[in-house]
Amino acid sequence: MSIINFIIYLLTMIGIYSLLAMSLNFQVGFTGLINFGQVAFFCIGAYTSSLLVVNAGVPVVVAFLAAMALSGIFGYIMSIPTKSLKSDYWAIATLASGEIVRLVALNEAWLTAGPFGVMGIPQILKDLISKDAYPVFYLLFVVVCIIMVYFFLGMLANSPFGRNLKAIRDEEELCLSLGKDTQKLKLQAMIVAGMVGGLAGALFAFYITFISPENFKPIETFLMWAMIIVGGRGNFKGAIIGAVVIQLFNVSTRFLGNYVPLGSDSMAALRMMIIGVLIILFLLYRPEGLIKEKKKIYD
Amino acid sequence: MEIAQILINTLVRAAELSLLAIGLTMVFDILKFANFAHTDYAVLGALFAYVFNRILGLNLFLAIILAAFVTGWVGILIDQAIFKRLRKMGAKPVTLMIASMGTAIALRNLMRLIWSSHAKTYAIPLQRPFEILGARITPLQIGILVTGLLSMITFHLLLHRTTFGKALRAISDNSDLANACAIDSEKMIKRMWFLASAYSVIGGSMIAMEHLLYPRLGFDVIIPVFCATILGGIGNPYGAMLGALTLAFAENTVLALDLGPLINLGGLFEVGSIQISTGYKPAISFMILIIVLLFKPTGILRKK
Amino acid sequence: MLTIENLEKRFGSLRALDGVSLEVEDDCIVGLIGPNGSGKTTLFNVVSGFYEKDGGKIFFKGAQIDGLPPNKIAKKGLCRTFQVSKAPEKMTVLENMLLAAEHQIGEDPFSALFMRSRVQKSETANLDRALELLDMLQLSPLKNDYAGDLSGGQKKLLSLGRVFMLKPDMILLDEPTAGVNPTLRVQLMEAIKRLQEMEKKAFFIIEHSMKVISNICDRVYVLNFGQKIAEGTPEEIQQNEQVLEAYLGSA
Repeated sequence: MSIINFIIYLLTMIGIYSLLAMSLNFQVGFTGLINFGQVAFFCIGAYTSSLLVVNAGVPVVVAFLAAMALSGIFGYIMSIPTKSLKSDYWAIATLASGEIVRLVALNEAWLTAGPFGVMGIPQILKDLISKDAYPVFYLLFVVVCIIMVYFFLGMLANSPFGRNLKAIRDEEELCLSLGKDTQKLKLQAMIVAGMVGGLAGALFAFYITFISPENFKPIETFLMWAMIIVGGRGNFKGAIIGAVVIQLFNVSTRFLGNYVPLGSDSMAALRMMIIGVLIILFLLYRPEGLIKEKKKIYD
Repeated sequence: MEIAQILINTLVRAAELSLLAIGLTMVFDILKFANFAHTDYAVLGALFAYVFNRILGLNLFLAIILAAFVTGWVGILIDQAIFKRLRKMGAKPVTLMIASMGTAIALRNLMRLIWSSHAKTYAIPLQRPFEILGARITPLQIGILVTGLLSMITFHLLLHRTTFGKALRAISDNSDLANACAIDSEKMIKRMWFLASAYSVIGGSMIAMEHLLYPRLGFDVIIPVFCATILGGIGNPYGAMLGALTLAFAENTVLALDLGPLINLGGLFEVGSIQISTGYKPAISFMILIIVLLFKPTGILRKK
Repeated sequence: MLTIENLEKRFGSLRALDGVSLEVEDDCIVGLIGPNGSGKTTLFNVVSGFYEKDGGKIFFKGAQIDGLPPNKIAKKGLCRTFQVSKAPEKMTVLENMLLAAEHQIGEDPFSALFMRSRVQKSETANLDRALELLDMLQLSPLKNDYAGDLSGGQKKLLSLGRVFMLKPDMILLDEPTAGVNPTLRVQLMEAIKRLQEMEKKAFFIIEHSMKVISNICDRVYVLNFGQKIAEGTPEEIQQNEQVLEAYLGSA
């Protein structure tokens, strides 16, 4: 792969993961919902959009919207137990549900082609754009999505809705005493986050044109967690920066593998080990992340 | 499947899971956080046992004991380096849980780096199964059952016949009261980590001996262990054993269930045999976990 | 306005509330006193919906409210503060005030995204009211500081201002002056009196300081071991035998 194409690939993947990081940040950094099953949105978004187009011939735009809708609905489902479960128990439940989603994708071959995955996902607007320009086009497409999501999530964060979420994160009882329906708010936050995650999944599926349950293992969720821990919770710039740092690290060490005498399995292990250590180091020494949450000033 | 075989498989699996679950439930109860790295300590210990057994030629039994001992210290070390610092920083239990996730990832991949992802086996002679009541059981499995039983009896004695055990139960029942009685909590916490980690190694080694030893084993078994722990109620080691038994039983029977007759509703519908695909076996513990969390997060046994 | 009939609350075998009945009318300040552990905060927690009752009835503005979740009770006009002031760390004083504002547009994703001009209007109106209240509580210079950085007494003032943003019909204040230095305590008392005169609402206050009670309360109820043992004006209960015994007995 030429250098330019590699950089475009890297940027596109960073872009897709920043959407996932922003979605996770909305749950964790804003609402205090500790979601260890984030990969489920990624998976549902990818599978929904690709299956609709490949198997049912649905127009791409509709497929994307359906992916977002279905992920949003799953977000709703995941939010229901927050009423009765404390945050650490809920986190464990989300871990389990993320894996269940993947196992369904793996086993229900009649729907998802099981371990073989969905192949031959068509590239969007393939006929209109030259083969050489296509990577750039897709990158721009992803960037546009990021800008829109950043804009919308930012608006939500700065609104009374966002204020309520932040308050739930820090003092849920206070919110109840002020008349807030905290359960409904969490639900809404999860639906929004789910939709963004689903969008990322759809973008992913149509980029690499082939997906399988292997792409949606729990390790993905922890990569996203590393991104928001490193980048900074409670703000979306941090989520993007975190995505940049972690993905750069991820991909560049793959590259380095050519020059360093470690086997590919060992490189992968070293890479993940460093990510684990990064998570610990940041939690110990810089818990706010690289980019701190901004104070909201009124004049 | 024969009832006897199900029973044997259940007991063996329950023994393995119990040893992992009692450590987890202790830490969850006393330090108030879910240690996601717990099963990775177990695998680390199992790998140490492998080294002692295969490479240093130690007798398997001794290898495991030694490995449990060493890993007990590792558990203390990790707490000192990571969790204790976070506790001193006033971190919420959720933050500790996230840190334990990071620890789990780091530890798992460190093991992968050192020992590679290839599955390993211990120096165990080929097993010739015995036949009991129409079911088969290998000498190894008998060994696992015996070890499990002995370990649990030892644990019970530790909990009820030593001052350490009494103090543990006191802290578990009421940590403020325990503090007021000047139980040295730092020392207690160290000992607790040692115990939890050491026991997990025994459980982990047994699983590894029965199946395969590979670095990712920790993650593959964390949800079943959590399930057993939560089923039994946090802080209740006997509950954890019961939870392990229940889960093991479910794992061994749910797949054999034929849902066809159920959906048939006694002849109303024409449905052939419907069985849950074996690919879902890992999901059984997940499903049970979610069901328990939804309906009775305090577990089926209340705290004693 | 608030009527409590035979309220019961048990924790295991402990009877925290053992058949308490009392009434708080409109436009007055009523005190609730009693030795530690007599059930005062438990009463507040049950009335405000944070604890479930084990028996009895609670009526607010004529309607039965026991069994409702805390947020619904607050929305009906019965609001409370907490013994240990709760202040979201990463939110400023002004954000805290705005959080509590009564009518807000934009509290859900749809209106936050698509009704921006109305959100803006409602925010501005609420901002004005918040600044007014902060001024009266003398917290204005701290308006853009993190609530977590405030002193204990300032947090109490903030709690007061915050609960007023809700325009409640009745406020339950749980030890509003506890742990506060004497100067600030006077400030708090003045603030409560002023707010009450301004808005003509009902206050139900848990207090330990007899000085505060005699200073601002019109009537007082006394609890001990989960039971009401006396009621009357501050002067009356200060001379009540049973009350003195309860306090001396538990000393």
